[in-house]
Amino acid sequence: CLSHTHTALRQILDAFLIQTTRQAAMETNSLVTVHFINRNGERLTATAKEGESMLDVVVNQNLNIDGFGACEGTLACSTCHLIFEEDAFKQVDTVTDEEMDMLDLAYGLTDTSRLGCQVCIKKWMYGITVQVPMEVSDIRRQLEVGKQSKQ
Amino acid sequence: MPGTMLMPQTLKLVGRASLLSKCFPEIWAEPGFKSQMRVIKTHKTLEDMPGPSTLSFFTDLFCRRGLARLHELQVEGKAKYGPVWKASFGPILTVHVAEPSLIEQVLRQEGKHPIRSDISSWKDYRVCRGHAYGLLTAEGEEWQKIRSILGKHMLKPKEVESYTGTLNGVVDDLIRRLEHQRSHHRDHVVKDVAGEFYKFGLEGISSVLFESRIGCLEPEVPKETETFIDSINTMFAMTLLTMAMPKFLHRVFPKPWQTFCQSWDYMFAFAKRHIDKRMAEVSERISRGEMVEGKYLTYYLAQEKLSMKSIYGNVTELLLAGVDTISSTLSWSLYELSRHPEMQAALHTEITTVMKGGSIPEAADVAQMPLLKAVVKEALRLYPVIPGNARVVADRDIQVGDYVIPKKTLITLCHYATSHDPSFFPDPDSFQPTRWLRKEQAHHPYASIPFGFGKRSCIGRRIAELEVYLALARILLHFEVKPEKEGDVVRPMTRTLLVPEKDINLQFVRR
Repeated sequence: CLSHTHTALRQILDAFLIQTTRQAAMETNSLVTVHFINRNGERLTATAKEGESMLDVVVNQNLNIDGFGACEGTLACSTCHLIFEEDAFKQVDTVTDEEMDMLDLAYGLTDTSRLGCQVCIKKWMYGITVQVPMEVSDIRRQLEVGKQSKQ
Repeated sequence: MPGTMLMPQTLKLVGRASLLSKCFPEIWAEPGFKSQMRVIKTHKTLEDMPGPSTLSFFTDLFCRRGLARLHELQVEGKAKYGPVWKASFGPILTVHVAEPSLIEQVLRQEGKHPIRSDISSWKDYRVCRGHAYGLLTAEGEEWQKIRSILGKHMLKPKEVESYTGTLNGVVDDLIRRLEHQRSHHRDHVVKDVAGEFYKFGLEGISSVLFESRIGCLEPEVPKETETFIDSINTMFAMTLLTMAMPKFLHRVFPKPWQTFCQSWDYMFAFAKRHIDKRMAEVSERISRGEMVEGKYLTYYLAQEKLSMKSIYGNVTELLLAGVDTISSTLSWSLYELSRHPEMQAALHTEITTVMKGGSIPEAADVAQMPLLKAVVKEALRLYPVIPGNARVVADRDIQVGDYVIPKKTLITLCHYATSHDPSFFPDPDSFQPTRWLRKEQAHHPYASIPFGFGKRSCIGRRIAELEVYLALARILLHFEVKPEKEGDVVRPMTRTLLVPEKDINLQFVRR
């Protein structure tokens, strides 16, 4: 009888464990939809996994943002610069000194700027829209001068 | 930035000019278009660029100690010619850029695989000896592959933090070593602190690379350590000389190139010895059936299936890159703090406040010390370890200010000149760490970038910063640092890198 109770208990416990593991798995894998406004004004929508960085999202989902994340998320450049909406900006984790110094070197810095490689996707971000700043003037300049030199 | 705002306008003109020449290539020969050409041609070329004559710059370099004063020549050049000028560094023509907004403009156009310089005596040596390029000398896809591997382990904030324990072990030994050195002097003076910090730098980078210690900070320093450090010094001293010397001079005076190669030979042999030793230990443990896991860079490189030759090349370069840089930054920081006791007191207060009685600062502690970071930033502004960096854009002409710089031109970025420019840093020669804490006193962000910027910037930056913060915080918890003699001034000199011209001797008073 005792062994019977033990087996039953074990079964309940196992069922409970499976359920909580599944829940945890669902929580860590919960998907969050975020939107990016590209430099040309195009709206890109991505399904992001909780915990990955904004840069990971752009890379993993093959979003076509030219020159984004040149240093591969190593906090050595500012090409993954993103502009947040004010409300969202306030909720994102605080910025470190290292990120701040790198942001200073970014093109078109705003009060709600962050580096995509340092911002991790959280559940509350569902539906937010971030803007890729206009850095395009540099690239155009390169292209023009480049064309000219090939003449 | 007025420079950038002007750009689209001049661009249109170039665009039109190129269109014209495309449709009517012959028109350029027509005299009737001459006047129009003058209107169209708003871009200046290399020919329009000011600069010293080849002969006068050559005399400056070789007869007036110019190589050791290269950082000062930047300031003089800017005063004389403006923010952009050309000069022939021996056989190499290089365009100097000494304005933050123009440095920014160059760096934003560096492309997918930025090149520091395509001609260098470092590369020549490797080709000559059949060694592999390391991260400092490799280019293109080869460079990108190594950069991606190392960047992952050296620059990501979480990864960097994980070196805290290893580095703090080395700081323990540094404090012990400083105690030992000061105890041998009547007034507790440590002579030549840069020499002590060289050993600290080498021990630190070795521990990060091999996860083992090599004994640089023991009372009796191993002979091979001394020789390795001497080799780095000699190699750096010979780097600029061998590059500035035209080929025919190498035949007349073969000594510099020979000495340069011998120094590199020793460094490569030193690195190889340590890598082989570590690898032998690992394979022995594997043969005994043990699980081997490591948290050191050589291990990560080995895991990526890089060739042994490439691992030797990379580890050699990482070893040498972690020595002068750490040593100079620590030496100048303490030198300036010893001359500014009020600043040292304020920093000491910051450290003790954060530490709340704790004696070993960790990464999380130094993250809360803004003044500590400002002190290091200010030391690097006054004495940037790399006084001048370089870029080559190989595949296209780029625009810099009013000029179009032809592709493949060596562009020298004059960081020393911009970080000493009074228009960006009032009273530029004085040590004022608080200028980094005042938000309203904004300076141009590209005026002082001691680690560079972008994907070819310093790979060791984050580890070096952590190492310097941990060491400085701990030193100041133990000692008050004073000059050996009041009013003793030490100036910097260029030896490829910017180093103290003479010994910095400091008194370490126990707290």
